[in-house]
Amino acid sequence: MISWFTALPYGWAYFIASILDILVIALPVMLAVAMIIYADRKIWAAMALRRGPNVVGPFGLLQSFADGLKVFLQETIIPTAANRTLFLIAPVITFTVALIAWAVIPFSSFSVLANINVGLLYILAASSLGVYGVILAGWASNSKYPFYSAIRAAAQMVSYEVAIGFVLISVVLWAGSFNMQTIVLAQKGEVLGLINANGFNPLLFPMAVVFLISSMAETSRTPFDLTEAESELVAGYQTEYSSMSFALYWLGEYANVILMCALNATLFWGGWLPPLDLPFLYHIPGTTIGLGLFWILFKMAVFFFIFSWVKATLPRYRYDQLMRLGWKIFLPLSLLFVFLVSGWLMLTRFHPIGA
Amino acid sequence: MIQTIAFYLFAIMVVLSAGLVITARNPVHSVLWLILAFFNAAGLMLLVGAEFIAMLLVIVYVGAVAVLFLFVVMMLDIDFSELRGGFVRYLPFGVAVALVLLCEIVIAGGAWEAGPVELAGRTALAPDPAAIPNIQALGTLLYTRYLFVFEGAGLVLLVAMIGAIVLTHRARGGVRQQNVRRQNIRRPQDATRNTNPPVGQGVEL
Amino acid sequence: MIGLQHYLTVSAILFVMGVLGIFINRKNVIIILMSIELILLGVNLNLVAFSAYLHDLVGQIFAMFVLTVAAGEAAIGLAILVIYFRGRGTIAVDDANRMKG
Repeated sequence: MISWFTALPYGWAYFIASILDILVIALPVMLAVAMIIYADRKIWAAMALRRGPNVVGPFGLLQSFADGLKVFLQETIIPTAANRTLFLIAPVITFTVALIAWAVIPFSSFSVLANINVGLLYILAASSLGVYGVILAGWASNSKYPFYSAIRAAAQMVSYEVAIGFVLISVVLWAGSFNMQTIVLAQKGEVLGLINANGFNPLLFPMAVVFLISSMAETSRTPFDLTEAESELVAGYQTEYSSMSFALYWLGEYANVILMCALNATLFWGGWLPPLDLPFLYHIPGTTIGLGLFWILFKMAVFFFIFSWVKATLPRYRYDQLMRLGWKIFLPLSLLFVFLVSGWLMLTRFHPIGA
Repeated sequence: MIQTIAFYLFAIMVVLSAGLVITARNPVHSVLWLILAFFNAAGLMLLVGAEFIAMLLVIVYVGAVAVLFLFVVMMLDIDFSELRGGFVRYLPFGVAVALVLLCEIVIAGGAWEAGPVELAGRTALAPDPAAIPNIQALGTLLYTRYLFVFEGAGLVLLVAMIGAIVLTHRARGGVRQQNVRRQNIRRPQDATRNTNPPVGQGVEL
Repeated sequence: MIGLQHYLTVSAILFVMGVLGIFINRKNVIIILMSIELILLGVNLNLVAFSAYLHDLVGQIFAMFVLTVAAGEAAIGLAILVIYFRGRGTIAVDDANRMKG
């Protein structure tokens, strides 16, 4: 097996290794999605003083798999008036887009699938594609409420992308790079040489908050889940979907949520770096086994808890409130902080090119 | 080898989807083929190492411009079958013009092939991509020599934005506005009161 | 090996297809706008290919400016389209022969 691999030309060996890497990242993400759906329901239930899923498997741990099996065995219904091809392609787009952005997320000092120089731009590009799965679903269903929902979703995602773009620019300015790994490493000892997080930097803390809220809006989580406001829109853009195509939306949505948790952790709270810049936190004491993966998973779990907490406690926004928050509050605020961050950098780090 | 396969994949896809953009019956399909064309063009640009432009192409075109097109196509209730008329009538003329244009491009390409390329005339030598990333080299150039052109581009976008808003904005009368400040400072006790009405009398409003 | 010629061929085809699209969809403004985008895409590909093969970054800078102008053009074009549709109830180019709005 190994001799066969080493006999390959470099290009093909690299190609096959990349595909294996993709599987190594994508399969755990899928598993994480299944577990996170369970976690979401459990947290939500606990906050409502209910038990949540507790029947399938120990503590109901296998609930998501049971649900998956159920939708898998259901019949796929395609409405006769629907645009067949687009109707079937739309969930695939959502799901694919939710997975491709993982390529540039660094999990530890050495494990990142594509350590590209334009990592953050890649994330922006990938997240701007997310609109299509939704808008196509709404249009291809040829049904009134999914279409309303798709229009809402598209407007919402595009609006909050603007604020997210400015937030990312301020982070990029501070780190001096679009490369995700460099952005993580630039946070080492960010505050007082001890705390590894951009988020504790007073210039970037408001951006961290804006990003957290915007990422909830971007993934259409409560309080911004107007796209699936069941009292107004039946069930949102996925009303006409059933079986696996519905499951793909479900999985894609949660994969997006975990991705946003990972981005929050990576951009503002140190990524795979431990919270404090102390040597014994980087490795398990006495060994060289790195703790990077542990720290980023821990931070993602914390952020997911915040997402769940918000979902359990806050009521839904009105659409005009949502738009007002995006355009009249977040946009000027993030613009102001891009201005402040670049001004501060001009004062402290500026050096003329060539000097 | 992989690059060659990738190039042909992207090139064939971009040409194919460009063809479908101009021939698709349904304009929504046209927009979707356009998106695919942009996507594959971005792939082609990535192959020659222009990573920043490739990402920009996806963000600007796929993320913004195509959404705009999609919105307009989906929201306006246009009878597209009526607009298809004349497709066959204009086809020979269009193909003729396209052929002439193609010949001219080929001839121009040939002429360029024949003459020497003045490599010494290059004004902004690309640095080694391993040392300085493409995006950094572009930024250095953009913010020094092309600063004013860059600001001009920003102005173009500003004018386009204001123009689009001015053109499409219409003040609709009779719409009740939200006063967000008043909504936010409003407390339950301003709007509700607890009463304990005696039986049979009801509440005085 | 992929050379400059390959890229120039692709961009030439894109450009010509854009022009062809304008002619064969003479009535539909939306397709015409999309064809213009195709033409500009061909131009961009050309600029980037030359920039890469001549090791000269100016091509990429200008591709960026083309991108900017194309985005502005699409926004204004669609805005005009929308108000035209509002006024006339159609987007056929042939009907755009009246001076009065």
